[in-house]
Amino acid sequence: MKQHWRYLATVAVVALVAAACGGGGGTTGTETPSGGTPSGGIPAGGTLMLATPSDIQSGWDPAKEYEIIAWEVFRCCLTRTLYSYTGMGGPEDTAPMPDLATAMPEVSVDGMTYTVKIKPGIHFGPPFEDTEITADDFITAFGRVSSDVGSQGGYPFYFSVIKGFDDANGDPTKITGITAPDPHTLVFELTQPTADFPFRLTMPATAPIPAQAAEGHIKDYGRYLVSTGPYMWEGSENMDFSVPAEQQKPVAGYEPNRAWILVRNPSWVNERDTDTLRPAYVDRIEVAVGGTVEDLANKVDAGEIDFVYGATPPSTQLQKYLADPELKSRLHSEATGAIRYITMNLAIPPFDDIHVRRAVNYAVDKDGLRRARGGDLVGELAGHYIPDMLTGGLNQGLDPYASPNGQGDLNKAKEEMKQSKYDSNKDGICDDPVCDNILTITDKSFPYPEQNAILTDNLAKIGLKLDVKMGDRYTFMYANCQDPTKKAALCPSVGWGFDYADAGTYGEPLFGSVGIGSSNYSNLGASPADLAKWGYSVTDVASVDDMVAKCSPMPIGQDRVACWAEVDKYLVEEVAPWVVWLFDNNVVITGPRVINWTFDASAGIESLDHIALEGGGA
Amino acid sequence: MGRYLIRRTLFLVLVLVIVSFLTFLIFYKLPAGDPARRVAGHRNTPEQIAEIRVTLGLDKPWYVQYARFAKGLIPWPGFFLNKDIYYSYANFIPVKEEIYKRLPVTITLALGAAVLWLLIGVPIGVVSAIRRRSAWDRAGMIFALIGVSAPVFWLGYLFLFVFWYKLSWAPGSGLGYHVALLQSIIQGKFVLAWVVLSLSFAAFYVRMIRGNLIETMSEDYIRTARAKGLSEGRVIFKHGLRSALTPVVTMFGMDLGVLLGGAIITETVFNLPGIGQYTVQSIFNDNYPGVMGVTVFATFFIVVANLVVDVTYAFLDPRVRYA
Repeated sequence: MKQHWRYLATVAVVALVAAACGGGGGTTGTETPSGGTPSGGIPAGGTLMLATPSDIQSGWDPAKEYEIIAWEVFRCCLTRTLYSYTGMGGPEDTAPMPDLATAMPEVSVDGMTYTVKIKPGIHFGPPFEDTEITADDFITAFGRVSSDVGSQGGYPFYFSVIKGFDDANGDPTKITGITAPDPHTLVFELTQPTADFPFRLTMPATAPIPAQAAEGHIKDYGRYLVSTGPYMWEGSENMDFSVPAEQQKPVAGYEPNRAWILVRNPSWVNERDTDTLRPAYVDRIEVAVGGTVEDLANKVDAGEIDFVYGATPPSTQLQKYLADPELKSRLHSEATGAIRYITMNLAIPPFDDIHVRRAVNYAVDKDGLRRARGGDLVGELAGHYIPDMLTGGLNQGLDPYASPNGQGDLNKAKEEMKQSKYDSNKDGICDDPVCDNILTITDKSFPYPEQNAILTDNLAKIGLKLDVKMGDRYTFMYANCQDPTKKAALCPSVGWGFDYADAGTYGEPLFGSVGIGSSNYSNLGASPADLAKWGYSVTDVASVDDMVAKCSPMPIGQDRVACWAEVDKYLVEEVAPWVVWLFDNNVVITGPRVINWTFDASAGIESLDHIALEGGGA
Repeated sequence: MGRYLIRRTLFLVLVLVIVSFLTFLIFYKLPAGDPARRVAGHRNTPEQIAEIRVTLGLDKPWYVQYARFAKGLIPWPGFFLNKDIYYSYANFIPVKEEIYKRLPVTITLALGAAVLWLLIGVPIGVVSAIRRRSAWDRAGMIFALIGVSAPVFWLGYLFLFVFWYKLSWAPGSGLGYHVALLQSIIQGKFVLAWVVLSLSFAAFYVRMIRGNLIETMSEDYIRTARAKGLSEGRVIFKHGLRSALTPVVTMFGMDLGVLLGGAIITETVFNLPGIGQYTVQSIFNDNYPGVMGVTVFATFFIVVANLVVDVTYAFLDPRVRYA
């Protein structure tokens, strides 16, 4: 008997030792072996520990989420699309590459039919690991996007070029412009030539969805998302789509306002050779949601998290890392392709006068605005509207209103104002009654109050007296700046980034008349009839619709880039509807474990599938 | 007492209706902003905003909208905070799901802080009262002054910085993911929050107990008790403190009721996923159903706490009788 127990004890000890030695970061809760294979000496494995101050807006529904932080997680981790990006930081990495498609699409001669072949044999993640991704699954996704409810807050307008899309309202069979002649072929028929259509097929909303998973989840698919990427929500395998939608339990790995937990998708691991874009080094990504930026910065310093996702570090932390040579290597700052600017309403005096607009451009202390935002690291001072990465650098250095150290040039501002009809005595100070009480609509959150004070002071020196109103960004600022009937003269708290790396994502919405009421706050291109309808006394404003119409249909390539560069140059020199002051940077401080830091130029944020951990996180 | 309880229960319902209606009016009528515009995002058209308003039922007349919310006040399965009406406008997550998930965190925070502030406040208040004008009394009053003056958010950040960041004596903010609440408590995740939250309440209780006890100890019956030869300890704790604590019971019930509705600042500073944090998020995101839901919950707790306090009062003070 004693020998029997001794034998059992020995077996138990051996088993325990074997279990203890068998870790090494290679397993997940689903017992999926580590999918990472060392590449160029970069170790795979481990758990990337992140934190973010607040949850995303729309519950991780790919048809609704319209924020960079969500799009990066979709691209890197949860959703493969027909085309996608490398997730790396070079200019070439902003071009779409085949992902679930076998190759770039075949385009008809008239540019209105795109034929895409889908890679065979690729499967969804659990619980649909036995289901191959086919053309119908993409049609399901487009059906959701066409629904008013399914895409609220999102970007369905990008797909209005597909025949039948606007009339479908959630019924994929009504999108006549998408057909599937066979399970691995998709044919898109467009209403007009759309040169950037492949870019639109990189967007998360176009990721395939199993029909059974979509059923009953027009509002809340994000909590039932079936992965196609290297990762999936933890607990995905426990989702049960065989019961009615109202009885289904949402996936455990996304806990709203609390945590995002991603684990390896075993389907992707088995088929990783089909994915040439994503190395996916870490085994697991944990993002804790909540906390103040300062508190999260302290956690990075303490080594409790690897970095803060989606938030700029506080200036005290930035200064500390800048000043310490040992820490400086952990501070990363890259251009995002986004801008910050101040819009002037061309239909409201005195901004209907080009000389006033140019005077404002000279007067603004751009460096001061940048300092209020956090200092040099947050971006380069801007001199023209469309970022260089979108115009091939053709306008690099273009800054018609340059001033010493970017701090404004009052003399030049006054010289310009003297030429304006609103400076009657030609002293460089605006003295017409329209120069008083200029309605200025701004965001009330950091850093805008301080920036408002700087702007108010700058413009007062040339006689422009601002009547600043501050409020919530969405319900106040956008509401008043977007609506031309509200007659906001200045909107200083504005930023813009591209949805994909094509200058058309700047050109049309920001400068074309189609953007009025949405993102064209200057009312460029407004017709006399519309101006009268909105109650403006000004009857004519500048327009670049002709130039936009010329560039938009041009095929992707150098001619298109040059066309948009010309629009940019013309606008900043001859129209000056804005004061652009910053080319935005993404600034991150990483913990000591993080290696292979990579910036995703296609999204303007850190690339979660390229980041690795020292020693595989061991 | 039975009739009294029935009257108070009906009163509870009335208060819930009034509070919910006022909350609805505040968010509906005050120019806080259109939630449909927030949901529509930064790139939208008037048509999209109008469609969203229809989807969310915001295009209906105000009385129809309130009637839908009011249906969710009926404490019956299928009605109370039903997910047909009470869901987040942005991500359609049911309000009830959020509240029930967060309630244990808020209860843990409130109860833990309550125990602490009683353990701190009562002894200090008693000692201050019986050793009036001594060094103990002065120390107690300085503690009370600091506790009352120091804002919770300031104390919270200070404690995190000193005890977590610098000294590593306590864990930092937040609770772990998929960690059981009991395990979080054992790991000490609530300690700093309990201490910070309890300090300001303890300070009030010190002053209140001191004042009440001083007044009680000057009563005739206390003099009689001493004259009968009872020990000073018995005089203080059996005769004096019992009367002095009666108003404390009232205040304790109300304070606990308020906290169970969510210690907003403490939960935000310490990133505790409770009802207070959810309230802040709902307000900032114009999530009307969320705001309505937490308001109803908070009101419920406060009114019930008041009822419990009043009933307890009757047991403590034989002169009080309810009919």
